[in-house]
Amino acid sequence: MILFDRVTKVYPNQSIALSGLNLHIQPKEFVTIVGSSGAGKSTLIKLLTREEIHTSGKIIVGGLDYDTITPRDVPLVRRRIGVVFQDFKLLPNRRVGENVAFALEVSGARGREIKRAVPKMLQLVGLAAKEHSFPEELSGGERQRVAIARALIRQPKILIADEPTGNLDPKNAWEIIELLLKINRFGTTVLLTTHNKEIVNALKRRVITINRGRIVRDDEQGRYTLETPSNLKGASTSPATGKEAK
Amino acid sequence: MLQFWRIIQAGSRNFLRNMWLSTAATAVMTVTLTIVVISFISNSALTSTIKGVTDKIDVSIFLSDSVTPQQRDAFKAKLESDSNVTSVSYKSKADALADYRRQNAGDQKLLEAISETDNPLPASFQIKTRDPNKLDSVTAIVNQPDNKALLDPTSPPTYSGNRKTTIDRIVRFSNFFKTTGLVLSIIFVIISTLIIFNTIRMAIFTRRDEIEIMKLVGATKWFIRGPFLFEAALYGIIAALIAAALSFTLLLGGGPKLGSYIDVQSTIAFFRSYPVLIVLGEMIIGIIIGTFSSLMAMSRYLKL
Repeated sequence: MILFDRVTKVYPNQSIALSGLNLHIQPKEFVTIVGSSGAGKSTLIKLLTREEIHTSGKIIVGGLDYDTITPRDVPLVRRRIGVVFQDFKLLPNRRVGENVAFALEVSGARGREIKRAVPKMLQLVGLAAKEHSFPEELSGGERQRVAIARALIRQPKILIADEPTGNLDPKNAWEIIELLLKINRFGTTVLLTTHNKEIVNALKRRVITINRGRIVRDDEQGRYTLETPSNLKGASTSPATGKEAK
Repeated sequence: MLQFWRIIQAGSRNFLRNMWLSTAATAVMTVTLTIVVISFISNSALTSTIKGVTDKIDVSIFLSDSVTPQQRDAFKAKLESDSNVTSVSYKSKADALADYRRQNAGDQKLLEAISETDNPLPASFQIKTRDPNKLDSVTAIVNQPDNKALLDPTSPPTYSGNRKTTIDRIVRFSNFFKTTGLVLSIIFVIISTLIIFNTIRMAIFTRRDEIEIMKLVGATKWFIRGPFLFEAALYGIIAALIAAALSFTLLLGGGPKLGSYIDVQSTIAFFRSYPVLIVLGEMIIGIIIGTFSSLMAMSRYLKL
């Protein structure tokens, strides 16, 4: 579903965000990416959503080779991937239903189609009753659900959740994670980044640890570990997966 | 089509959301379009006034009573050969008397002063010229010795009179007026371009979160740009309607009062016959100014 082959990203100021990163994520996987700030997580996501363009290497997502993307194709690429952020990024002057509908409007869906899809999606994220509320009337957890509904309304194959629980209390954070797991069960590949140790450890899903633009651990049922020199050494021959982890 | 409709909806919503900025931009655009139209009106009115005035001034050359028809025809042919001369018409003594009678129909005393048998009015050539300011060649022909002998000694030709300086003054005045109108139009077009540029720039800043989200959910570039373009075009459309109403009122209300000084009739007639054309013309100018400034603002501040 997602393939990074020796991907390097160097920003114009010469800082190296990713260096020769290899990553392979299967369809319907639930993968958590951890790493300290500046490790390269955000760059990884920006490369996926084509907000940034990789310097070298190969990126293939859902069969689409990112080297063949023209600027015209970028919106189409983004429509195939749902993204959820820490700060929700909802339109404050539009109601919940309108926020979710917005993603369909920009892609040219018909009004009738939108009217049918939006309530269904709100039901899925448990916000059927809030369709006509404004974002500011909702709790943080509810807002994140709206963002998830918007990300999912176009039925993307991949959902990227970039620190979705960063602004939430533990209870709301768990509800969001459970929602992501539910979405994953329906067949969507989920890519989660988080700093929340408890969540990572409780998930018992694949965990990829990034440090200085490289993958230093890749464990099938990983735990939250930030790199220290000792486990960095161990990571290069991670016995948990048997996979090569750079 | 559906996308186009959504862009129009979003643009209108933006217009209403920033009511103050929209009002300011529309007001400046209205002033600009009104000035452009007024400048156009006065330009065409002055042009037709000057044409009217210059059409009326013909050089009159009064002939001595002793001129024979052969001499007369030869003189006429010489005058007609001049490239600046458009027409030469002969007015006989009898015609001159008839004109005199018509002009003074109400004044018995003046009528009685001249009788059929004793007609002191000379026959004349009425010369119309292409350029009334360049009469030197006509003067030269008239002043040739054998032609000069044919002139009425008591009535010198009227081309060298005060009228030329008056006409010159009118022409200078109207040229000044036309230039002023053009300069003002240009200045105001620039001002409204800048104001709309700034309005759209502000709109881009206040809506940057929204733009980011649009990008995020996969909106195409033109779906994001469209509302800003339409919003700016809307300033032009609304301003054009107001400016058209203003200029129609000014012209139809104020025009007749100016009637005795300058010739606005042909302009009024033009306005009456083509109101749709004029409103459309103003709209097109407004839309061009609006979309141009909007595109400029977007190319600088809207990075997609």
